[in-house]
Amino acid sequence: VHHANHYYGHSHVLARYCGLDDTDPPRLRGYLQHGWNIGDGLAPDHEYTPGVPSFLWSERTRRRAWSLGHRQGYVVGAPFAYLLTMQPLSDSDQREGTIWYPFHGWEGQHVVGDHDGLMASMRDVEDGPVTVCLYWQEFRNAKLRQRYEDAGFRVICHGYRGGWWKDLDPGFLYRQLAELRKHRRVASNRLCSAVFYGALAGCEPAVYGDPMHLENEKAAFGGQPRILREWAALHGPYVNRDLALELAVDELGADRLLAPAELRRLLGWPMPKRVDDAELTGVLIR
Amino acid sequence: MTVQLIGGEMSVWSDLDGTHGPAPAGDPSLLPLLKSITGRTLVAGPHAPTLIDAIPAPEITLLVRGVTDAELLAARFASRPGVTICCGSLEKLATIPAYDTVVALDGLDRLLTTEAAELTWDETLTRLLAARSPRGRLLLRLENLFGIHRLVALPTAPTDTEWVTADDRDPSRPLGPDAMRARLAAAGVPVARDYAAYPGALLGGGVLSDPALGGFLEATLARSVPEQSAPAQPQLTDPARLVAGAVRHRLADDLAPSWIFLAGPGSTGPEASIAAAGPGSLGARASIGSAGPGSLGARASIGSAGPGSLGAGASTAASRSAGAEGPIAASASAASAASAGTAAGGGVAGVDEIHRDGGGRWVRGDGVPVPLGRTLEGLLLAACQRRALPDVRELLGAWQAGPVAGVPATQVVVDAEGNFHGVASAGKPLEALRHLAASMIGGGYAHLWPSPADEVQLTALLAGMTGREVDPSDVPAITQSTVESVRELTIARDRLTEELADARAKHEFYERQIANRDHELKRLRQMNAILSATTAGKAANTLVDGLKAGRRAVRAVVRRTRD
Repeated sequence: VHHANHYYGHSHVLARYCGLDDTDPPRLRGYLQHGWNIGDGLAPDHEYTPGVPSFLWSERTRRRAWSLGHRQGYVVGAPFAYLLTMQPLSDSDQREGTIWYPFHGWEGQHVVGDHDGLMASMRDVEDGPVTVCLYWQEFRNAKLRQRYEDAGFRVICHGYRGGWWKDLDPGFLYRQLAELRKHRRVASNRLCSAVFYGALAGCEPAVYGDPMHLENEKAAFGGQPRILREWAALHGPYVNRDLALELAVDELGADRLLAPAELRRLLGWPMPKRVDDAELTGVLIR
Repeated sequence: MTVQLIGGEMSVWSDLDGTHGPAPAGDPSLLPLLKSITGRTLVAGPHAPTLIDAIPAPEITLLVRGVTDAELLAARFASRPGVTICCGSLEKLATIPAYDTVVALDGLDRLLTTEAAELTWDETLTRLLAARSPRGRLLLRLENLFGIHRLVALPTAPTDTEWVTADDRDPSRPLGPDAMRARLAAAGVPVARDYAAYPGALLGGGVLSDPALGGFLEATLARSVPEQSAPAQPQLTDPARLVAGAVRHRLADDLAPSWIFLAGPGSTGPEASIAAAGPGSLGARASIGSAGPGSLGARASIGSAGPGSLGAGASTAASRSAGAEGPIAASASAASAASAGTAAGGGVAGVDEIHRDGGGRWVRGDGVPVPLGRTLEGLLLAACQRRALPDVRELLGAWQAGPVAGVPATQVVVDAEGNFHGVASAGKPLEALRHLAASMIGGGYAHLWPSPADEVQLTALLAGMTGREVDPSDVPAITQSTVESVRELTIARDRLTEELADARAKHEFYERQIANRDHELKRLRQMNAILSATTAGKAANTLVDGLKAGRRAVRAVVRRTRD
């Protein structure tokens, strides 16, 4: 229904989980939440259409959406949590250092803030190697990339988010999971999906440093101040790892994942054509 | 056999045919109360012959108002010795305390005729008690004028029998079991046991007050009550949901359609009597009702329930279940006992008598324990309401993976250990899932699911929740109650209105999307045309045309070679 369903390869991951062709996921009958959200699960720029169900990550989001009059919400959990069930964590994962996600703007948005100050905070807190993961917009900015590299950080990018059926990147979440599994800690200057993903993927999360801001940032649903109040326990250079995992499970709906048959039925997807297809297939990281 | 016309008889009248008022007393759950009747017996008022058949007493006097009924009974019992038929009004019956048992399971409202002087309810009772010997017993029904059957009824035209209407403003009429017990005690006939009487079920105080039996009672009443108004009479709300709520709120006694009182010395009767679902009860009817098809006996027991009557429920419910898959032993519990068709310990076939055994457990007549706990549907709805979808999946999964998968969720009791006990016979599992979907949508719970809240789609989704892949086209049709109720119709109307509004909104959304796609397509085609016109584009087209020609040539050669 919506092009945002294919952001970050989300629909691709779900297609694989459902035993369908993950290079070309079918049209999904509803709106799939694509990022951690303190509102109704829909992106701020997304128009709400009555009758189109929202497939949400968490029960908390569903309750919020209901209270706002959006009744057709169904908790399915985050695609990242499905990916983890297909590529479970292992004790043999070699973890070292921190993967750091500076707050970024999305397509058409510009973040305003002091990257040097942020790097200083990172150096103060982190005692191991730091990988800085930039959004593709920042990653393409050679100057900015260079600044982080000059500061001694490894700089990576997980790929394109994609949009309007262009530049879709089915390998996005796979690359993210692979990187998270290599690191002992995950950190950002704002609480965001990546921090919850990291916590679920076994990293010790942290949220610290100048949170920066977007040009003309609108504080929908209470904005950053509400995030600080409601999820205070996840803020700071060091947070309680067990509590963080518990919160990540809740926010990503990792304890509420659907079986493939139910998910297919809900998304309006067909049964796999062959029994072999129903077996989980591998996906190529492109 | 001759009919004794005692006076006040109605020459053109029948209570037994159910056309002038409610059907006569005939619920199979009454049978266990009748089997221990001894001595001279007066059966006053209209009773289905199947009930009279069950009375083993050697001397029975039947008192009816209409000559037609009297003649029919005379023909029906012509071969049974010891049966006397009196036709007329109660007050004309000789006031001799001649009877060891007086049976008035139709109540007191159809004992006086049009020719009689008007008597209050209390005066009628006094006249009836006058026929009882000093140590005689009384079996009496009292309609609850505030019972569920009246709460769900739409206004109806008065029937022929209501030349005087039973009225809860009559100060002499007891308004509940307590007042009735007091009245009978004052008359020297203390009540030994009384029951809340629902279609297909008599429930004693011990059964009603034990919360552990809640699920079993809900299942039992959900089975028998919905069919009470067949042939369909529109009503305010689905009585099955109301009854289930009454059980949960401990109001099943207060809201029962009627109460049955066993008074005087002698046997006290079972704690509860429940007409079994499934083929067992059909067999029972055949053996009790010796009358052939279409005869009075058959009509009386199936007969249409008039306003305010819930009487015909159990037998129609039984025939409905008998049309299903047949008795599949759902678990080693109630269903097998119910479908066995026989009851141990001198019980009545097709009717389960519930009592406590030596260890205090609730058991059926054949010693099979009654399952304790809540109904599966109740648990599922509770979990759905909390949106505890993992719990819903667990319950659905356990249900569908076990031996009771084909038993409707209303008929499955889940005990404290999480074991599932079917209390009705099993059909196909997908049918059971569809019944659940129908109940959720029909009951006003459609909002628990994303649209479209359509029975077939929801059934497929519920199956998906158990991990089973079901194509909606494979979801079987089910037979559902055709009774219209205002609440359910309103729910359906509101749901459909909302679905239509949603569909319109979606339509507009899709229109906009198509317009965008059209625009995009146009742009791409224009771009294509421009590119084709460039030198590079022309060269590419020439190359493609050349390749196509080459392919055609190769194909032609291959064809010729084959030929």
